[in-house]
Amino acid sequence: MNDHMISRRRFLSYAGAAGAVAGTAAISGCTLGVPGDTHITESGRPSGLRALYATVEANAAAVQSVLPAFREAFGFDLTLDTQPYNALQQKVFSELATRSPYYDIIIVDTPWAPTLTRVLEPMSKYLRDPKLNQLADPAINDFVPKAFYDAGVFKIDDPTAHYPEPEAAPNIDQITAKGFEVLGLPIQTNVLMMGYRKDIFDNPNEQAAFRQQHGRPLAVPDTLDDLVTVGRFFTRPEQRLYGTTLMGGVGDWSTCDFKSYLAAFGGDGHLLSDDLHMAFDSPAGVQALQFMRDLVDKYNIVPPGSESASWDDTASMFDGGLTVMSSNYHTFELSDTVRGGQIAYAVVPKGSSQGPHFGSYMLSINKYSRFKEWAYQAITWITGAQQQMTMVQKELHPTRTSVYEKASADSGLTEKYGNFYSALGKSLNVGVGRPRLTNYTEVSHDIAVQVNNAVAGRISPQTALTAAVTDVRDTLRKADYTVPST
Amino acid sequence: MTSQTGIAPPGTRDQLAPGDRIKPLAPQRALERRGRSIGWALLAPAMILLLLMTVGPAIFLIYSSLHNIQMFGGASGFVGLRNFQELLTDATFLHSLLVTLAFVVIAVGIELIVGLALALALAPKTRANGVAATLLLLPFAVTPVVSAMVFKQLLDPNYGWVNYYLSKVGLLPGQMDWLANPSTAWIALVALDIWQWTPFVALIILAGRQTLPQEVFEAASVDGSRPWQTFRYITLPMLAPFLAIAVVLRSIQAFKTFDSFQVLTGGGPGDSTEIINLGIYRTALQSFQVGAASAVGLVFLLILSALVPLLLRVVGRNAEPEKG
Repeated sequence: MNDHMISRRRFLSYAGAAGAVAGTAAISGCTLGVPGDTHITESGRPSGLRALYATVEANAAAVQSVLPAFREAFGFDLTLDTQPYNALQQKVFSELATRSPYYDIIIVDTPWAPTLTRVLEPMSKYLRDPKLNQLADPAINDFVPKAFYDAGVFKIDDPTAHYPEPEAAPNIDQITAKGFEVLGLPIQTNVLMMGYRKDIFDNPNEQAAFRQQHGRPLAVPDTLDDLVTVGRFFTRPEQRLYGTTLMGGVGDWSTCDFKSYLAAFGGDGHLLSDDLHMAFDSPAGVQALQFMRDLVDKYNIVPPGSESASWDDTASMFDGGLTVMSSNYHTFELSDTVRGGQIAYAVVPKGSSQGPHFGSYMLSINKYSRFKEWAYQAITWITGAQQQMTMVQKELHPTRTSVYEKASADSGLTEKYGNFYSALGKSLNVGVGRPRLTNYTEVSHDIAVQVNNAVAGRISPQTALTAAVTDVRDTLRKADYTVPST
Repeated sequence: MTSQTGIAPPGTRDQLAPGDRIKPLAPQRALERRGRSIGWALLAPAMILLLLMTVGPAIFLIYSSLHNIQMFGGASGFVGLRNFQELLTDATFLHSLLVTLAFVVIAVGIELIVGLALALALAPKTRANGVAATLLLLPFAVTPVVSAMVFKQLLDPNYGWVNYYLSKVGLLPGQMDWLANPSTAWIALVALDIWQWTPFVALIILAGRQTLPQEVFEAASVDGSRPWQTFRYITLPMLAPFLAIAVVLRSIQAFKTFDSFQVLTGGGPGDSTEIINLGIYRTALQSFQVGAASAVGLVFLLILSALVPLLLRVVGRNAEPEKG
């Protein structure tokens, strides 16, 4: 009996110990992160670095293609962990909130950055240290200025502020003199571009018919008026063919579509000014919403489903051969059913002005990394011109001016991707980013709801904007922003 | 045998084998106490885990709801009931709450009726019914987000099967955008939920129906009871406990619905399908405003906690006939 009791006690003590270990592991896994197994080797280098990256949205395949060269250059591996977009945001935020040192390099999307300014390592001191710039030249003046400032240049304690000279060639001394910091280097930039069916525009029969109808040659629309004219010409529901697409469903896409039209009608494409005035509530905003509604109801040049369409839906419409033109973040790829189809790209049509929506991903140093200097060097190497030129073979959307110039002139790339890089570079140069808010997602949702109401004709454009102003002000106030009364 | 009285099943303790001695009462009590201690000790690891995984987070939820938590630097601070005050005076939240309640009532109500009909139809134990019951499980087995994506394709106004076949038989004049109109978007969402979860309800009721004593039905038949009378006065009251379980479980699940709304409508058209969970997701997991999201979660939890006993009382009041 005694033996029996002892074994039971042992069992209980083992069970207790196991429970404690399991509990501790559960807690540390949930809140503290798991320490990485990387360490400093005898050569003074880390045994490896880890990066958290986006699977599709920032083209992980392109970065993975240069990892063997990275090992040759650095003598250790860079491990790339990738996540799809929604999971990525939660992973990035939880890693940084728990001060985990596991990832040395972290990808950050533009709308997340204002929340994270205090947990990303400022780069100015590294950019100024010649010792850290021997493996790769950061050459920040080569970055497309808009992409560079919009993605990674922030005032740490006032993250709503945009850099005041977004067209100036980046210079670290000028940036810090204005009270800003570099929190990351852009790796991929996405901009709203217009894709069109080159095979249809080049079709002699279509060209002749258009000339007969309009007395001028058929050309890719450069203005919104042209878009309507060409869109009407191609809209033939009986042939299941429509002019263009519209992202009218509730989601970030309709906000992005609206902000691009807002800029095209001469409004502030940022939607909100840095001092939180509701810039979208303007005559240009009314015109933009009215135009979006007219695409559905007056011009009738978008397919059924546009009032509830997202990025993916409109891409599917174009890829499936349902429309001749489409504006999207996505790179298009015609489905197998569209025989002989060819795609080319252009800057989205302008109105009195121009400002297609854009956003970038940057690579930042985790403030809690144990290898910050090495992480910096890895980032400058990956975002360098030479690596970007390699990565465009895998369709990276580059962030350097020199890479755009080379890619546009590269016959191999032109054969493979047509005029994609030329149009992407031009679009980026006129692009407009987002407002810098810690709760941008909610603000974007407030606007998207009212854009959807206006596009569907449930309320007038002005009513929609007024309702959006009320909702956005309320959302900002809840996040402790001081919102101007007018 | 007597040495293990602390954990012996009831009744075995008094059965003495030949040669056993009757032990004094005090040591027996000591053994019982020790047995109880061992029971608690055995429970301890599970209880500790339970405390860590459920009670701990619940306490943190309450703590968070009373604070303005800054997860990425800046000063977090106690804000008292401010998060709740803002929430309960927020028209958007109240709208979302109503939308969520409407969805639960409509979807669960229809699922209960259809599930009951299916269960009664499949109750006779035949080979065909066995096959049908197995097939019934298929929608239930599909991941909700996958179901939503498939539904979205089916409802596509340009390529979807629904529009194609409805227009073929003359029930639809043209290409309808189901997700662009509030009423048709609701039909789509409720239809998806019914397709996915009615089998779950039907299986619970079917299991219950098959446990009912056959003698009662035979007696009713002998007494000349008509099918409707048998259903109304015998089957339905006897199934009440199972209906109660189905309603409570499905209501809790329906309150937690997220995937189908996120994939199909994202809360649109406008904010007509904006359920609470979509707002919590945006606030907590996209804006990381933990305090505000915790307040929403806590209010939602309190509402659910109040609703479940109410549902049990309403649906399950005939659940125990002997008390009736």
